[in-house]
Amino acid sequence: MLKRFAPLILLLAGLAVPVFGQQPAASPAPPSAPKPAPPKTHLKVGQPAPDFTLTDTEGKQVNLHDFKGKQNVILAFYILAFTGG
Amino acid sequence: MDSSPANKRFAEDIGVKFPLLSDWHRKAVKDYGVYNNETGYGTRATFVIDQSGIIKHIEEGRSAIDPTGAYQACNLFDKKKSN
Repeated sequence: MLKRFAPLILLLAGLAVPVFGQQPAASPAPPSAPKPAPPKTHLKVGQPAPDFTLTDTEGKQVNLHDFKGKQNVILAFYILAFTGG
Repeated sequence: MDSSPANKRFAEDIGVKFPLLSDWHRKAVKDYGVYNNETGYGTRATFVIDQSGIIKHIEEGRSAIDPTGAYQACNLFDKKKSN
């Protein structure tokens, strides 16, 4: 079933701490300053997906429109993948 | 944001068979509405996009780490094709 999908992973890393990890024990957030919720996308199911042109690990440009009419796409924004987050 | 060479090393380390893309300029995270202005990075999210380029499923935050939602969306495609 998954052969028809072209899973694409966007790796966006650089933070030293996990975005969704536990609060550090030594510096818990004070009750008066709750951590803001992560942003929610403005996109909705049923809308066209924004096209993109990004570089893969071999330096090749990959566009979403390359898959149009050919394959379904799973696009995963996987933050902090290479930094242990 | 990870560079393409960093992604390549990561891909080799975990042995992935699918494309790993670098959003070095943070354009895709902004276009997809998953950019966090406070941290300067994106948040975890998964979008299932059909062959016509339409978004069929969205997972954000903690639930995006679990592939179950995206997997179930893929099953929906299969059911529609078999009908």
